[in-house]
Amino acid sequence: MALTRRDFIIVLPALAGSAVSCSRPPREGSVPESDVVLFEVHAAHSGAPCVLVCMPETRQTAEVWRGLSDELSGEFELAALRTEGVQSSATIARGIQRYRPAGLVLMNNPTVEAYRRLQASSQDPKFPPAVIVMSSFLEGTPPRLRAATGISYEVPLITLVTNLRKLIATPIDRVGVIHRPGFSGFVERQAALAGREQTVVVREEVSQNPNSSEIKRALRRVKQRCDALWVLNDDRLLSPRLLAEGWLPGVNEAPWVPILVGAASLVSPRQSFGTFAVLPDHTALGTQAANLMLDIADQGWSLAPAAVVQLPLSTTTTIDLEQARARFALRPSALSHVDNVLER
Amino acid sequence: MMLSNFQLPIADGKSPRAHLGGTVAGATAAGAAASVVATGAGGPGAATGSLLVHLHVFMKQRAFQTLLEAGLPGVTATAVSRIADFERALEDAPDAVLTLPIVLSAKGLPLSLRGAMGGSTEERYALLGSGGPPDPVQVASVGALDVLGRDGTNRFVRSFVNAGAHVERVTKLEDLLPLLQMQRVEAVLLPARLIPELRAASRLPLAESVLAATVGLPAVANTGANGSSVLAAISKMPKDLSRLLGVDEWR
Repeated sequence: MALTRRDFIIVLPALAGSAVSCSRPPREGSVPESDVVLFEVHAAHSGAPCVLVCMPETRQTAEVWRGLSDELSGEFELAALRTEGVQSSATIARGIQRYRPAGLVLMNNPTVEAYRRLQASSQDPKFPPAVIVMSSFLEGTPPRLRAATGISYEVPLITLVTNLRKLIATPIDRVGVIHRPGFSGFVERQAALAGREQTVVVREEVSQNPNSSEIKRALRRVKQRCDALWVLNDDRLLSPRLLAEGWLPGVNEAPWVPILVGAASLVSPRQSFGTFAVLPDHTALGTQAANLMLDIADQGWSLAPAAVVQLPLSTTTTIDLEQARARFALRPSALSHVDNVLER
Repeated sequence: MMLSNFQLPIADGKSPRAHLGGTVAGATAAGAAASVVATGAGGPGAATGSLLVHLHVFMKQRAFQTLLEAGLPGVTATAVSRIADFERALEDAPDAVLTLPIVLSAKGLPLSLRGAMGGSTEERYALLGSGGPPDPVQVASVGALDVLGRDGTNRFVRSFVNAGAHVERVTKLEDLLPLLQMQRVEAVLLPARLIPELRAASRLPLAESVLAATVGLPAVANTGANGSSVLAAISKMPKDLSRLLGVDEWR
């Protein structure tokens, strides 16, 4: 390996904004000024297949990279290209030309969209198999890419409920959710999965463009019929205005139920909203993606015919301890099951 | 649709405080553990030695680390759950390493102190599945903790079940349950003593098959100048902490 993880963390900020000269010469061509190689790891033996990782440069993607490279380094050549902005399709195309990867990893929605545009505009029907991570609502989405699979970014409801039951002493049998019509299929699939853990989903459908009054009405109705409320990561439902004028007044009036959210930023003891956030463990997500890639390699760098999008296995959790203590009965061991405990 | 960029309207903009000396929101427990190594020496209650712990328990790493530090006064303990983090932390030359004997053996580390339960230094493992008890001969896919890396863990798991079984590795005990919930595997492999806790976290109709083969209980390697004092502290650790590791006696 050319760099250890510690080296990577130290040098990463220095890499931003500039192309990196690597310890080995490029395979062919040179990296244009606009393309940033965030990281390269060389395999223990020459001639190893290459896995090209296309990723924006964020703390979360760096964690995914860590899990990915821990698993794949040594066995494969690894290269991470920064894909941000309108040039991403061209960056990916040049990356494929330069590295001739046996497999691709695509991180986040814009990167996936850039790769889709590249596939659509290419005359070459053959693309390397790709693993998609950090892409929202990937599960259940019709495949718009050739030779691609991935891991959904949404933590499944069954995992949310399992985690919540470790914290809250009262029974959690019915979980309410407010959703727009376009999310019906997603909610139904999650409800079916959660049913294995004897969880009933109470649905409250709102219009495609709800206002704050509709959100408040939906909250009042659904809270009467559930033991906890599951908040979807739907940017339309969680717009700043609906958060301030619909959700916050609605969740902070009796009856109180634990609020399950999928973003740590929605849990804060300074503004009571989410009781408990469950997010993918990004390093573990990288490991899971690496294992998918290893399976693809074992199958001669092709996707299994029955390859399906996976759900994230490992999570990290955050609790608003102030709200939880004030409103709910916590189990004695509750805090030992939470990664981040927030209080004022 | 977007990825977790939602923001609550908070007037003062100050960040809330993370509790129990834990991590700030979003930081990984592994990162917190690494910082303990960097800053643990010196000051009041200065460490008499450093201990690297690679064991899996049914609690978050932050809480486990807090328990270790409270139960081993004077010892700078670092708990990691990922094998890659363990291998990196080994490069920091800890005074002692607490993990499973199979891991010590794989890393060429000495077995200096052994944990025992009920007079035995070995424990039984079990396969746990949803529905009927899993058959180790028939099971096609098995989930397990990644204690030895890909090849090593695959060999370890297949020593309990049929050689053709597909192995799904996870880095935390709590991640074994999602493998069963999402039907990614037919069974998970774990120490039989941990089954009650996994059952308590689920309403799945779980059933187990306790296997005949045994595995060594946690053990300690003396690897540094202050290793002896760390081993002495481990020998005297509180009983409840010791039992959390599956041990009631150190010998």
